[in-house]
Amino acid sequence: MGSIRKSATAAAAVLAVAGVLAACGGTAQPPAAGGKTAISVVSLKPGSEKAAFDAFEAQVAQFEAANPDTDVTSQEYEWTGPTFTAQLAGGTLPTVFTVPFTDGKGLVERRQLADITDHVKSFGYADKFNKTVLAAGRSDDGRIYAVPTEAYGVGLQYNRTLFTQAGLDPEKPPTTWADVRNYAKQIAERTGQAGYAQMTQENTGGWMLTTLTYAHGGRMQVAAGEKVEATIDNPGAKAALGLLRDMRWTDNSMGSNFLLDWSGINQEFAAGKIGMYMGGSDVYTSLKQQNNINPADYGLAVLPLVPGAQSGLLGGGTLAAVNVKATPEQQAAAAKWIDFYYMAKLTKKDAAELDAKTLAASDQPVGVPKLPVFDKATLSQYDEWIKPYVNVPVAQMTSFTNGIFEQELAGEPVSHTQEMYAVLDSVVQAVLTDPAANIDALLANADAEVQSILDRG
Amino acid sequence: MSATTTERQATASAVPPPSPLRRRREPADPGNRGIVSAAERRTPLLGTGLRLAHVLLLALLALVGLGPLLWLVKASVSTTQDTLRDPMALFPSGIDLANLATAWNDVNIDLHFANSMIVAVGAWLVQIVVATTGGYALAILRPRYGPVLYWLVLSTLFVPSVVLLVPLYLTILSPPLLGTSLINTFWAVWLPAGANAFNVLLAKRFFDNLPHEVFEAARIDGAGPTRIFWSVLLPMSRPILGVISVFAFIAAWKDFLWPLLVLPDPAVQPLSVRLPTLARSIELDVLLAALMISALIPVVLFLVFQRTFLKSAGLSGALKG
Amino acid sequence: MLTRVRRWAGDGGLSTLLFLLPLLVVFGVFSWFPIVRAAVMSVQQTNLVTAPVFVGLENFETVFSDPLLWTAVRNTGWFALLALLFGYPIPLVAAVVMSEVRRWRGLYSALAYLPVVVPPVVAVLMWKFFYDARPEGVFNTMLAWVGIGPFSWLQSAATAMPSLVLEATWAAAGGTVIIYLAALLGVPPELYDAAEVDGAGVWRKVWHVTMPQLRGVLLVTLILQVIGTAQVFVEPFLFTGGGPANSTITVLLLIYDYAFASSLGGDYGAATALSLLLAAFLAVLSAVYFRLTRSWSTS
Repeated sequence: MGSIRKSATAAAAVLAVAGVLAACGGTAQPPAAGGKTAISVVSLKPGSEKAAFDAFEAQVAQFEAANPDTDVTSQEYEWTGPTFTAQLAGGTLPTVFTVPFTDGKGLVERRQLADITDHVKSFGYADKFNKTVLAAGRSDDGRIYAVPTEAYGVGLQYNRTLFTQAGLDPEKPPTTWADVRNYAKQIAERTGQAGYAQMTQENTGGWMLTTLTYAHGGRMQVAAGEKVEATIDNPGAKAALGLLRDMRWTDNSMGSNFLLDWSGINQEFAAGKIGMYMGGSDVYTSLKQQNNINPADYGLAVLPLVPGAQSGLLGGGTLAAVNVKATPEQQAAAAKWIDFYYMAKLTKKDAAELDAKTLAASDQPVGVPKLPVFDKATLSQYDEWIKPYVNVPVAQMTSFTNGIFEQELAGEPVSHTQEMYAVLDSVVQAVLTDPAANIDALLANADAEVQSILDRG
Repeated sequence: MSATTTERQATASAVPPPSPLRRRREPADPGNRGIVSAAERRTPLLGTGLRLAHVLLLALLALVGLGPLLWLVKASVSTTQDTLRDPMALFPSGIDLANLATAWNDVNIDLHFANSMIVAVGAWLVQIVVATTGGYALAILRPRYGPVLYWLVLSTLFVPSVVLLVPLYLTILSPPLLGTSLINTFWAVWLPAGANAFNVLLAKRFFDNLPHEVFEAARIDGAGPTRIFWSVLLPMSRPILGVISVFAFIAAWKDFLWPLLVLPDPAVQPLSVRLPTLARSIELDVLLAALMISALIPVVLFLVFQRTFLKSAGLSGALKG
Repeated sequence: MLTRVRRWAGDGGLSTLLFLLPLLVVFGVFSWFPIVRAAVMSVQQTNLVTAPVFVGLENFETVFSDPLLWTAVRNTGWFALLALLFGYPIPLVAAVVMSEVRRWRGLYSALAYLPVVVPPVVAVLMWKFFYDARPEGVFNTMLAWVGIGPFSWLQSAATAMPSLVLEATWAAAGGTVIIYLAALLGVPPELYDAAEVDGAGVWRKVWHVTMPQLRGVLLVTLILQVIGTAQVFVEPFLFTGGGPANSTITVLLLIYDYAFASSLGGDYGAATALSLLLAAFLAVLSAVYFRLTRSWSTS
């Protein structure tokens, strides 16, 4: 970082003297230095603890030791729609970056990711991926453009300390939505904190409304032949919004902040201001790294699903991809990094142990519940390998880890997902901030609006 | 790029009408009176009413102008729990100075602070260079195509900055003749800042009003245009340079949307762009400390610049005399 | 031809050009060229991957068929109106009182101007905390002292926009105060003397001397404020992200969303089309405004 500052000062001097244009630093693809292939990779989310970055750099060093002709630089990274677009358009994405499942298809269709089929095949696990999970990063003709590195299912995050303070048993998280509502009310009344909170901003409102709708047996899109039909105006969504309205306006158990995005809700939860919320099963990593949560507070339960054939648990995940503008050498090195950092630890004992050991040495979370990227057996095998290093409160997550494999998993909607989520954001916000909001009308409007987005293709 | 109304108004205020700050230092002039006459001031009703209004206004201004900043100072050395539970109480659980150190060191406020400085100084330099050289050419050297050019420059004042947002962004992505993107370089902020028609207007108007005999005399003495620029014009232009400098610096320090777009790499982001990202992850007490540090600099600069402003105002008075 | 060039260079034409070079380069590349480019882009489809395609008025159709457009226009108008209601008379009254201050006027000015120098991002993040909707929030605590509230501030569609305007006014009013003050102090004292000779009291002097003298400044600040508020961005972007339920989405936020918010690549055509529409609207508005006010601003 110092060099950037220095070069900028130098640049200022150049300007003062001659007023000549000269570009300094900041190119997306680092040039090869001394015959080495230079790649840039994404590291951790902004604001993560220093120890977490140290652990990451240790892994970079391990990789460079094993691949002496590759030079790895890292930059912090958090996927959000606007920043990703700007980086994509600006050509400033690093050589290796990650995107959510929901954007895989669109990026592949626009050929904005590098084709890494051959590299992935050479690593020997290309055929083992869970087919539905891999689909997000594959083109229609079967080429691989991005590999799934982790998958999550949404779980009910809860604060054990607030449960205790409210006179609830932290070992017995709610198992029905009626329970959730009652617990939330009790927490709000006895502790003064939000009993239950929900994300509403930056497309997370749509994401979580979809989750809640799935849990109530609804779906947001259905494929109708070649076309996709919006089915937002469904009984499940109505039930979901009705539940939110009751908690917000009848019980007043949702606190006072209804403009929460993913970071915001995590921040408030870690600060002990939220009793329960829906979040990915792996969110503990971020709660620890970014928000320094007290482990004793943390509890994770399976999300209640309303009994019925249609109810499903929303799951998603992360894809790792390679910059389409990278040179072939960089693409090869980038694929190796993906294998090293994201994949090998899932399939190879020594890699798994090294990874877990490195993280644990810096006091970084090891053992957060995830869903299988390959198959369940591979995941159990991985869990076995890292067992000695697990440092997250797994005992406080057993409700989730025991129950998740009995739940019906359902993927996120496939077409224009983020755009649909953006429309749904305002639906959720309306229900939570306007006591007179008309749920039927909101859903009907959103349905029409999303349908016109889908029809545009 | 994207001067807000505030900045425009502030700039406008600094220029054509005499500044109130400048007036403040002028010797008490018997002709310098306001709406209320000396006789009216002595009447009990008006005199008291006026004094009351003054005190009330002062209290109000202190509350509104200074209050939030004082609160920020207090909150920056309070614990998160204190600030959340009872934001108006004074240190119920003591002073927590560690926040400031954490913000400065662990959250890298020092780096972003340095970036802000680099952005501001560079933008200032570019603006000064463009305004003085351009103003000099248009006002003193006066080429035949000057009026057309001046009109072209001024016409950009009528184009709202929002129109430039996307095309300028794309220009930064692939600038003509350069072949490399300026994204994540400070040039992406510096150079567009130079295209500020207001500065050119100020400089040209100021140069227009300088006594032309001085330039004539220099030319007869054999000084070339460059010599005149350096040794005659610039020394006479300190007041206008001061005005442009102050506003260029403040504007650069405040700008948000443009650096947000063209500096996506955290390592080069100035405070204004970095703070919202940090606000979503760091603890409240550290965030408030970071906000305090970020507000402190321009506030201190303002207090200092007030004095330089007066000095330059005095200089312009001396020049006129 | 050659002799003409030589004479031009000998007359200092070359050095003039050299002095103009920074201005020409900077304005050319970063102002004139992008302005022209905006006009071109508004009738093209540009995605930075494939070559731009001419699409006629399609971008404008996209903009006009977006249901959010009218919400954004309404919100922006609402913001501008509220900003005028809050931000226009208060600075004027403050400046009139300040112009009568004989001692420490600098202190008044400094206090009034202080919020203007606070970086907008800092101000917004600080006020976001002030607007904490819990009863323990800063403003709710203070209002509870006088028995009002608690309010939900940013957390309800009805109060979100006024909350934004309140902060924006706090941040900008100082600049307006200083402008008015400068104009007030520029009023020739003889006019007051003359009015007093005619037996005018304080109020009559304010109405018949001060206000007419300020007319020009008042008219200009009014239109400048409208033009500025029509492009409001930082407040809605950082306070509410356009929420709750789109109640604070503004035209500029919509432009930003078109160009930069979709994670799969922006619609630069629609974004430039909307920004040109906004610019055209402001141009027409200013023209009409100056036309209407010309007759009574000449004094």
